[in-house]
Amino acid sequence: MPLLSRLLVAAIVIGGLLVNVSTPAQSRASHRRAVKTVASTRAVNAEEMQALLKRDGTRPLLVNFWATWCDPCREEFPDLVKIDKQYRPKSIDFIAISLDDLADLKTAVPKFLREMRATMPNYILSVSDPEPAIKSVDPAWDGAMPATFLYNSRGEVVYKHFGRLNTVELRAAIEKTVGMKDQKAEGTKQ
Amino acid sequence: MKKSFALSLTLATLFAIAAAGNARTARADVPAPPAIGATIVDFTLPDTGGKDHSLNSLKGKNGTVLIFIAVQCPVSNAYNERMEKLAQDYKARGISVVGINANSSEATDAVKAHAAAHNLTFMILKDNGNKIADSLGATKTPEAYFLDASNKLVYHGRIDNSKDIAQVASSELREALDATLSGKPVAKTTAAAFGCSIKRAD
Repeated sequence: MPLLSRLLVAAIVIGGLLVNVSTPAQSRASHRRAVKTVASTRAVNAEEMQALLKRDGTRPLLVNFWATWCDPCREEFPDLVKIDKQYRPKSIDFIAISLDDLADLKTAVPKFLREMRATMPNYILSVSDPEPAIKSVDPAWDGAMPATFLYNSRGEVVYKHFGRLNTVELRAAIEKTVGMKDQKAEGTKQ
Repeated sequence: MKKSFALSLTLATLFAIAAAGNARTARADVPAPPAIGATIVDFTLPDTGGKDHSLNSLKGKNGTVLIFIAVQCPVSNAYNERMEKLAQDYKARGISVVGINANSSEATDAVKAHAAAHNLTFMILKDNGNKIADSLGATKTPEAYFLDASNKLVYHGRIDNSKDIAQVASSELREALDATLSGKPVAKTTAAAFGCSIKRAD
């Protein structure tokens, strides 16, 4: 191999190594990018939560009430993450509302969401009296957790489940709600 | 014309009924709780030592508080001291406090050990198969029922507004007890709060 070619190969190899070996600063930047892909959490009061539940007629909304101290909530969360990844990009909105203490806003809650690789928006509901908030979500709900509600694009509850999730039922409800919306849209076109 | 109008009305009614029942719930198998004012029928459950007790054998002369509790639920556990104090405060005033554990995931021995560890001295019954939780429509822990001297339901719901005792601003259960003891109507007969779902038997 001529000397020029050898030098060129060596330059390519060394260059490749330099690109692949990241500095600690680069690693931290990459970690920050990774962190941004997990769910963000912010505190909301009852009025702010009600605003989150409002629909403008475009997309249905799935809402899950949970807490890090609630065992069945933790157990069902991986299923919710799968459902979020499957449906949110194309057909529904999905928010999680945590009943953890505000003190857990930057500790236990994000830690759990990171472990779950959850990316849906998450909120901590902070209220002194939980009853008006509970009743505004659904008058038939008494606050038992976990609780999952599916609202159609008009803001009506079309499916609800108290206790550990039944994913078959939930998927069927989502498909039906999304399908109904599509049918309606098609009907409008005709 | 009349016939077609009647048919349309029938179809519209059927559609409305179907639409009303469209919001599916997994709690359909748990009966709704008794209405306020309903008489709670006597029942018998074992304590953590296996001895049976009837509601009528446990009730106070002025009423009975039934509270669905748990071993592992942090919300229920946040109320351990408050429930014990409630039992102590109202014992002399003729109201009994009875705990009921209906979680299929919590064995009788665990319930007994939990009561000892947290100094719960009031009677705790084990609702195996959650029959009483079903008949009372109980869904979560803690969840309280206050029955007057004739076993009529006068209050159903939370103990107070917050699991954090420093944030307590309204104590609906105590207010219901005090009103009943004073011969006054209960101002707030139901109140909701967040709690852990009762783990029912499969």
